[in-house]
Amino acid sequence: MTTLLDVDDLEVYYETEDGPAQAVDGVSFSVEEGETLGIVGESGCGKTTLAKAIIGILPHNGYVNAGRIQFRGENLTELSDEQRRRRKWEEISMIPQSAMNGLDPVYTIREQINETIETHRPGTDRVESNRIVDEMFDLVGLDPDRADEYPHQFSGGMRQRAMIAMALSLDPSLILADEPTTALDVIMQDQILNRIEGMQDEVESSMLVITHDVSVVAETCDRVIVMYAGQIAEEGPVEEIFGNPYHPYTIGLKRAFPDIRKSNQDLMSIAGHPPELVDPPSGCRFAERCPLATEVCRTEYPPEMEFGELRTYCHHADEIDEEFRPVADRAETWEQTEAAEAKNAKATEATK
Amino acid sequence: MCAQISQSDGESIFADLDDEGSEREEEISPRKRQLRLYRRALGEQWRVLSQDNLVVASVITLLFFITMAITAPFVAPYGQTERLTADDGTIAQWEQPFWYGGEGGYVLGTTAEGYDLFSQLLYGSRAALLVGLLAAVFVAGIGTMVGLVSGYYGGRVDDALMRLVDFMYGLPLLPTVILLVALAGPSLVNLILAIIVLQWRTTARVIRSQALSLRERPFVKAAKVAGASDRHIILKHLAPNVLPLTFLYGAFSIAWAILTEAGVAFLGLGDPNHVSWGTMLQSARSYNALTHEAWWWFLPPGICIALVVISGFLIGRGYEEITNPELQE
Amino acid sequence: MGRAQFVVRRTLQLIVTLWAVATALFLLFRSMPGDPTTYIVDPSLSGEARERLIESYGLNEPLHVQYMIYIQDVATLSFGQSFHSNRAVRDIIALYLPRTLLLMLTAFFFAYLIGITVGIIAGWRRNSDFERRSVFIALIARSFPDFWVGLIVLWIFGAWLDVIPMSGMRSGGIQYDSYWNVELWLDTIWHLIAPAAVLGFYLMGYPLLLMRNSMLEVLSQDFIEVCRARGLKERSIMFKHAARNALLPIVTAGAVALGYAVGGSVLIETVFGWPGMGREMVNAVLRRDYPVAQGTFFIFAMTVILLNFIADLAYGFLDPRVTYD
Repeated sequence: MTTLLDVDDLEVYYETEDGPAQAVDGVSFSVEEGETLGIVGESGCGKTTLAKAIIGILPHNGYVNAGRIQFRGENLTELSDEQRRRRKWEEISMIPQSAMNGLDPVYTIREQINETIETHRPGTDRVESNRIVDEMFDLVGLDPDRADEYPHQFSGGMRQRAMIAMALSLDPSLILADEPTTALDVIMQDQILNRIEGMQDEVESSMLVITHDVSVVAETCDRVIVMYAGQIAEEGPVEEIFGNPYHPYTIGLKRAFPDIRKSNQDLMSIAGHPPELVDPPSGCRFAERCPLATEVCRTEYPPEMEFGELRTYCHHADEIDEEFRPVADRAETWEQTEAAEAKNAKATEATK
Repeated sequence: MCAQISQSDGESIFADLDDEGSEREEEISPRKRQLRLYRRALGEQWRVLSQDNLVVASVITLLFFITMAITAPFVAPYGQTERLTADDGTIAQWEQPFWYGGEGGYVLGTTAEGYDLFSQLLYGSRAALLVGLLAAVFVAGIGTMVGLVSGYYGGRVDDALMRLVDFMYGLPLLPTVILLVALAGPSLVNLILAIIVLQWRTTARVIRSQALSLRERPFVKAAKVAGASDRHIILKHLAPNVLPLTFLYGAFSIAWAILTEAGVAFLGLGDPNHVSWGTMLQSARSYNALTHEAWWWFLPPGICIALVVISGFLIGRGYEEITNPELQE
Repeated sequence: MGRAQFVVRRTLQLIVTLWAVATALFLLFRSMPGDPTTYIVDPSLSGEARERLIESYGLNEPLHVQYMIYIQDVATLSFGQSFHSNRAVRDIIALYLPRTLLLMLTAFFFAYLIGITVGIIAGWRRNSDFERRSVFIALIARSFPDFWVGLIVLWIFGAWLDVIPMSGMRSGGIQYDSYWNVELWLDTIWHLIAPAAVLGFYLMGYPLLLMRNSMLEVLSQDFIEVCRARGLKERSIMFKHAARNALLPIVTAGAVALGYAVGGSVLIETVFGWPGMGREMVNAVLRRDYPVAQGTFFIFAMTVILLNFIADLAYGFLDPRVTYD
């Protein structure tokens, strides 16, 4: 397998009133040809920013501060705007977070897909681009006749599929799917996920699936990155990450989602919030919410630890197996964090 | 500029003013409590507004003109229609300003009829501000009350009031004011009344849609369940929440009223007993001050009008930034 | 509710509003102090002619009969005869309205063309100097009374530089046998430039600010980000997608604004001596020529009401999302 995308020590900052917010801070990973990589984390952990930086659509106050985004051996951050524009959608396309509102309301879907094709492949005649639209609609399970309708005439799930059809229309090497199912109801979510899985078999594109929903990753991905507060917490094959993780955050995140194998498990979210990214803590960014946190966690950046194919950034990763895993399912364990204590203290005060 | 205030779609920023301090409710009288409520809303708005230098400058400009209007009789060297004579006993007409080589020491020269332009300019601020401020208070007040009642009660009341507003929207502003003033007789009072009659429509429509959404908010429903009277809910729960919009349209009304007054006066339908900036421009035009190149006659009144109007627009824009989060940075 | 039903209901509303304005006018003129006939029949006429006219207008009938006659007259747009020139009000309107429209539409066209374009760029380049300057200019344009700006323009370009005519719509002495005379049109355009420019400058502020705000709103929507991801050219995103969406509210606001602007032509026509309907209305009011005042006013109100109506309908046709619930 050859490497398609190689992100190296990437830093993406946002200009804010209080100074730069370090939304993505020193992230490195790669995507192989044909591979599907998942990125999970709570909202605000920088995963969407990462996707926007890769495709090149950061908002006006966001910028790549350092690092490289190598795509087929070429550093995207060094390209001119025009060179970058040509590679968008043609090479890297996306299924956006808000795919339901991702279509321009005043043009029909066919017009929008045709426009994309004709922008990137000047000289394509209308018959040919219409044929592609029909083909893509077939592929995502939509009636090609309905391509001539406006987005508002479609239901949410149909719009999502139309968006997927558009994402596939130029046969890109990499597709970024940013929360592809979040805005949908449960049944639709399932349909769309099946659609994405089916699509992976038919087209040979690599995929980067970004979501806060652990089950989406489990269903679609080969490998997973767990992000926390702009950094990678843990990375590895999907079975390892969810079967036997070594980062307390991954363990906590898993607990926040239902697991069919443990039917009577209590769902628990992790107390507290991710830290401010304008002036982040100097040590491990998860320390405040981590039951294992010690002094060293608050002061020193955690080292990279390897467990088989897993890459984990935690000072206490080697204690996980003996000390943490047995108690990780208990609610009391998660009451011992700094954030949970602060919350409890506040609650006690309020009742007084 | 004022990103500190965040709000979600269609919601008011002061949504639940009255939740805090509810424990002490018994300690102070309802009236005081209500006063405090409004004061807090105003204080909060001023805090946001005063961060915008343009708004502060506009408020200072308005205060300057208000001072000018109040002190006009003491500062003005002559009466507004006092015919001046030169040393040789002839009427001191077409005098240039003293700093432009004119005789008689007139700050802004004299008119073709021998009136002192500087005194007229000072007195003229009275008509402008009287019309602007009075019209704005009533336009914003009536519009807000109609809007709140219409939006809060809904149903037939709403239907009737909104059809009235629709009808008002069918009237062209300036022609209607001209017609009303001409038929009722040109005076400042009639002019102010005409402006009020025509302008409340905009405020009413905007406040109504705001009231429609406020009506569904939990704190209003809670008050209803708790048995609060309609009057109480409108005055205490709805009104403070639409205050920024009221002020927004009030500020715009100042600007529109002053422009309208100047225009109507310029057309020769001004109050014959009061000099205004509009009537100054009217006489400048009818005495051909343009071809006499007596720019000291027709430049200053226009600049004064524009300054007051810009101030109104800028204060309104400041409120727009408060009420419309899309515009916030 | 379907589109057809909406059109029908809106048309009924249009008729009711027109009727209400006409009725208000009737009441306004009849409630004036003194002999109401003086508002309809020239008071300077002699006894017998006066009696005849009063009878022909039905003014000796009871009020409700007068009202019925009046409504019939309004429905056929006949407002009687001018006291001043003795011509039919309908002919006066037919003469002056096209002139007002010529001035107004020219100014409006350029104001919206420039205002919208600048507004698009200002919204696109948020926080740039261009945005700040154009918003500032728009505020200035809206704050200076247009008649005063007209005076200044006349002073500088007319009295001082002598490059524009001081007043009127045509120079005296031009011979023409038809309206399609080139010289006549060039002369009219020469007279038109200054008032149209002043009016256009004044009108420009509104579409500029509105378009900027609308652009800001559209640009914050998700599909714009997707357009960027699709690798569309900047220009295409800016005009074909952002501006096309942002334009929807401007079209309707513009139609409404045009209605009111026609009524606002009163001032600019007076300053530049443009012989249009606005100036004619003011003159009629000042001369107490009530039939003309009433007739011209009704045309102004009708313009407003009709354009409000068109704006409402236009929205449904321009925005594919509109449903009539």
